[in-house]
Amino acid sequence: MMNKMSKVSNQVLNIIKDNRIKPKPRWYFLTKNYLIWSLFSLSVILGSISFSMVLFITRQLDWDIYRYVGESWLKTVFISLPYFWVIFLLIFLGVAYYNFIHTRRGYRFKIFSILLSSLIISIILGSLFYARGFSESLENIFREKIPYYNKMVYTWERQWMQPERGLITGTIQEIDLSRQTDFVLIDLNNNLWKIEAANALWKGKLAPYPGLKLKIIGQIKDTNIFEAKEIRIWPGEGQRRKAKGGHP
Amino acid sequence: MVSSAECLEKTDEQLVVLSLKNQEYYWCLMTRYENKLLHYILKISNFGREDAEDILQEVFIKVYENLNDFDTSWKFSNWIYRITHNITISAYRKKKVNPQLVSWDYEGLNNLMESTSNIEKDAFQNLSYEKILEIINRLPLKYKEVLILKFMENKDYQEISDILHKPMGTIATLIRRAKKVLQQELAKEGIKT
Repeated sequence: MMNKMSKVSNQVLNIIKDNRIKPKPRWYFLTKNYLIWSLFSLSVILGSISFSMVLFITRQLDWDIYRYVGESWLKTVFISLPYFWVIFLLIFLGVAYYNFIHTRRGYRFKIFSILLSSLIISIILGSLFYARGFSESLENIFREKIPYYNKMVYTWERQWMQPERGLITGTIQEIDLSRQTDFVLIDLNNNLWKIEAANALWKGKLAPYPGLKLKIIGQIKDTNIFEAKEIRIWPGEGQRRKAKGGHP
Repeated sequence: MVSSAECLEKTDEQLVVLSLKNQEYYWCLMTRYENKLLHYILKISNFGREDAEDILQEVFIKVYENLNDFDTSWKFSNWIYRITHNITISAYRKKKVNPQLVSWDYEGLNNLMESTSNIEKDAFQNLSYEKILEIINRLPLKYKEVLILKFMENKDYQEISDILHKPMGTIATLIRRAKKVLQQELAKEGIKT
């Protein structure tokens, strides 16, 4: 049995016997395999959540205001993208790719196919999360619990709190309901503004009342006086008004 | 003790299952692959024979330890070549050995030369066997390893993909590029391609 041609084989068999080497148990490899697939699934789910946040934040932004503030559409996109979540989406796509190629047959697929498939799954799952209102709840939690979150994400509030660029948002504090032309607005930084709205276009057939939350396009006329050109309501405000049965 | 006749009648996959119950069967697997893997190590690494045997020993021990990781629906030969490849490359990078002339059998070398398009047969025959090996040895490892697997080990694209853990499309590209680089190297020696 022992021959010259099997020199290494004979040596190794002796080493195995002398050192009582045993094969690693099957459960060790199964656990490792399950762990890799679990990490892959987790990365895809986290990527989907990131995508749902991108969707939620971008859907809340007003993409047409570049016309009013004299910017190019491209610059508006560049400023407004939710980089915080886009970066997370890219990171999770990368982690998903890393885990996938470490599955048993993962190496058979090209990097482009793996990344594209993960992205498509993230888009589908993320859209479902968004449609079910999951991203809105998560956004509220992040705003409350994570310090500096509002500074890291370009939200619609940040987009509209730029009075020097002709954009302002807040709540009507006082209004003469008989005239409905000028009113006092308290902005998100708790500054009071006199809004001159005689020539403004009210989008959405609004009947203004104190407490109504608005987004206004226009220009600063004087200290704390803002001349409105166009007035819009806050995202979701229309539904809230309907639910309450109109304004008081 | 397992007899040689018993070894011969079993497939690799059957021997893996049997080795998990009785280590004597593992000897059958080792003897079946000892020469093939030793030559493969020598070809891709430029190690001397003694070093190559040390690597092979490490390979066999690692394969034995990981037998439970082998999926019996796969080809055992691809799996053991994969482990051999990994351990050899890792040792090669650690040692940074000096190049030695590796041995290719004439048939493998002939296959490679014929498939490297348009090499004029007369010109090819004017080069010595050693000179051709020297040219192949100059190729970067990523090209040399695919050429060895394709033309010396006679592996198909799927098998090379399973051994190198790269998609089949990438393997095809690597082989194409390897041939092109080989053509360029031959051109430097005055061989028209």
